[in-house]
Amino acid sequence: SILSFNSICLVGIDMRISRLHRGGEMSATLKPYLNAVRSSLTAALCVENFESQVVERHNKPEVEVRSSGELLLTPVIVSRNEKEKVLIEGSVNSIRVSIAIKQADEIEKILCKKFMRFMMMRAEHFFILRRKPIQDYDISFLITNFHTEQMYKHKLVDFVIQFMEEIDKEISEMKISLNARARIVAEEFLKNF
Amino acid sequence: MSKNTRSADFRKVDVDELDEEKFIDEPEVSQDDDDTDVISKRESEVKSLTLGGRNLDALKVSLTDPPVYSKDESAKKRNFDIVLDVLTRFRQSEVEEAVKKLDSEQVDILMKYIYRGFAEPTENSCGILLVWHQHAVAVGGIGSIIRVMTSRKTV
Repeated sequence: SILSFNSICLVGIDMRISRLHRGGEMSATLKPYLNAVRSSLTAALCVENFESQVVERHNKPEVEVRSSGELLLTPVIVSRNEKEKVLIEGSVNSIRVSIAIKQADEIEKILCKKFMRFMMMRAEHFFILRRKPIQDYDISFLITNFHTEQMYKHKLVDFVIQFMEEIDKEISEMKISLNARARIVAEEFLKNF
Repeated sequence: MSKNTRSADFRKVDVDELDEEKFIDEPEVSQDDDDTDVISKRESEVKSLTLGGRNLDALKVSLTDPPVYSKDESAKKRNFDIVLDVLTRFRQSEVEEAVKKLDSEQVDILMKYIYRGFAEPTENSCGILLVWHQHAVAVGGIGSIIRVMTSRKTV
């Protein structure tokens, strides 16, 4: 009876791993979603140098300062479903892109939070990453005219899209390895009985 | 010393308010207060067209004269509901030719509603909205997206 208990536990963990590969129905919307984000980003990334109108000799990203209404564009959202969406806020000299990542259960929420925190602490090395995400989103980018002057616009857009694809894959991989480790631990522990 | 220099009241003057070039963001307000009637009429017309299976005509009717000037949020919401209902009735294969039959102004208005649809996602809307977005961009180009972002007249 102890042995059957072991096998039931392992089957339970197996079933959870197989449910991870349910990607089927979701991936139908993935390509159109990324294409919509790509075209919206390309449209928003028309930024040029614009000095501050409020303070002499200062140059601030207007999307962050939000001091003058005439410099800001209407924020635009592209959503794949109620949980996954991208918010694009534009302005004359900068844009802010915020991504809400799919988090299906508690484990994914924790993994996502830690992963995003890891990256945001190293935001300086990323150049375009923002240290804090916008409210209701998991990660935010701030792209200014200085970035578009130094880097290719289409490459910046490619980077953001690739980032979105990779994040989902990485979190799934982390979850699978986490479950595999949990399975091994459970196996070892239950061998004692 | 003359008397002038002692007063420090000039420090209390708000210079920004007196700036002649200051931007004041005032969207045009419609004179017409009968938005609700117009929208109800549109609602019933669209309903009859969709029940008759003429989805494309329903789409054209729903996209004419959006209440961009109105300050009434409920009127805008109702119009949005009408448009979203029509958009979700299309099948994926029908979207492409429907977009091709719209003129450029209608495509721009369609884009505004697509983005509003993304902002208020429901269970089934996002999938078909992504298809609409793809074909609207194919017809309208990146310019139609930029016009959504820069336009002050929100739908």
